[in-house]
Amino acid sequence: MNDTHVTPKQSVAPLLVPLVVGGLVAVALGVYGRAHAPTGFAVGVAGFSGPLAMKAWLTTGAALLAIVQVLSAMAMWGKIKVSAAWVALLHRWSGRIAFLLTIPVAFHCLYSLGAQYDVPRVMIHSLLGCFFYGVFTAKMLALPRRGLPGWTLPVLGGLAFTALIGLWLTSSFWFFTTIGVRF
Amino acid sequence: MSRLGPMYTLAAGAVIAVALGAASLKAAPVIQQVAAQEDTSQTASSPAEASASATPEASETPTTPTPTTTGTATPADTTPKKADYAGVAQGNGGLVAIAVRNGKAVAYFCDGHIEAWLKGTAENNTITLEGRDSLITAALGGGRAQGRLQVGHAKWRFVAPVVKKPSGLYRATAIVRGAKIVGGWIVLPNGQEVGRVAIGGNGEPAPQFTPGSPVDYYGIPLRPQDPDYFIDEVTP
Repeated sequence: MNDTHVTPKQSVAPLLVPLVVGGLVAVALGVYGRAHAPTGFAVGVAGFSGPLAMKAWLTTGAALLAIVQVLSAMAMWGKIKVSAAWVALLHRWSGRIAFLLTIPVAFHCLYSLGAQYDVPRVMIHSLLGCFFYGVFTAKMLALPRRGLPGWTLPVLGGLAFTALIGLWLTSSFWFFTTIGVRF
Repeated sequence: MSRLGPMYTLAAGAVIAVALGAASLKAAPVIQQVAAQEDTSQTASSPAEASASATPEASETPTTPTPTTTGTATPADTTPKKADYAGVAQGNGGLVAIAVRNGKAVAYFCDGHIEAWLKGTAENNTITLEGRDSLITAALGGGRAQGRLQVGHAKWRFVAPVVKKPSGLYRATAIVRGAKIVGGWIVLPNGQEVGRVAIGGNGEPAPQFTPGSPVDYYGIPLRPQDPDYFIDEVTP
């Protein structure tokens, strides 16, 4: 599977539904984060000394897997000379696990804290978080569609990666540099 | 299969989010029950506490003025110069604590999930305090503060008796590499305790606090202090 597999009927039309649904997801998360009263509490993953540490480390795990995502995607598209069957499998499952690692984090952020715009770091983080799930949803919905422009998946995947790294910088990196590398 | 794979991924994420939501809805307030405290047993745990509790003015002024001291000219304001109150918000189970010092008042409400710092005034045996999205009005007298508390859209009544150290309100602040950390704790004489620590837009239930000892917050030592130290510092 590489970009030489091109059908003559390339069109952006099949991209419409994934983009619209992705946009709706992003907006819905933002509206929810803004409209509901933050509960100040959410069930999360046990084993950490507190929710901040839990979120910092799960996000770090997702960010590391996101790097695996970029490398395996480059291999799949022939940018890195590795042609093995396991590359696609690696890409699929590292992405899945990365996405699932982010769920308890986003849940805690949105349910417990909500979207906030008081401080630049927090505002950027809130907006990127909503954007990330929108782009990710669009990419998932675009994946099985045929006849999409060749740039579709690299652009959506690249945006998802960029958003996730931005999320990591505005949360985990802040936690590790402000409070310390704590579990 | 491969066409449905991405759908399974999205669905798995949604299922986990819903499961976390269901579990969170069931979670109870995080009021901790620690060993009940005797007013006299722990007062010597730190020099500051010992001196504060030894101060004679620590008790609330009686509500009925003694005729000998007030004179006959103008009715004196019998509002206590220094008093601490703590009690339960009825219908919520969260705790509320109020400290009055020379006409100023600070208050803290916390049920482990949400919290509010308030500041205001105490005069004519009435306290009025405002915080971010929160309001307290109460009457002082009879050894207690009795009034209403509003946080966001929620309103509760409360009756908060006078409490003495080590019970009452505590606050710890620290600035760590540019990030301000604010912790608040309320300790009741029956051993109930609640608190939260806020940092950079985040907040979480506070680690358990034993009056007189520092609290470890991700390795950062927080030193909760009594209202004498932060009465002018609270900015809701």
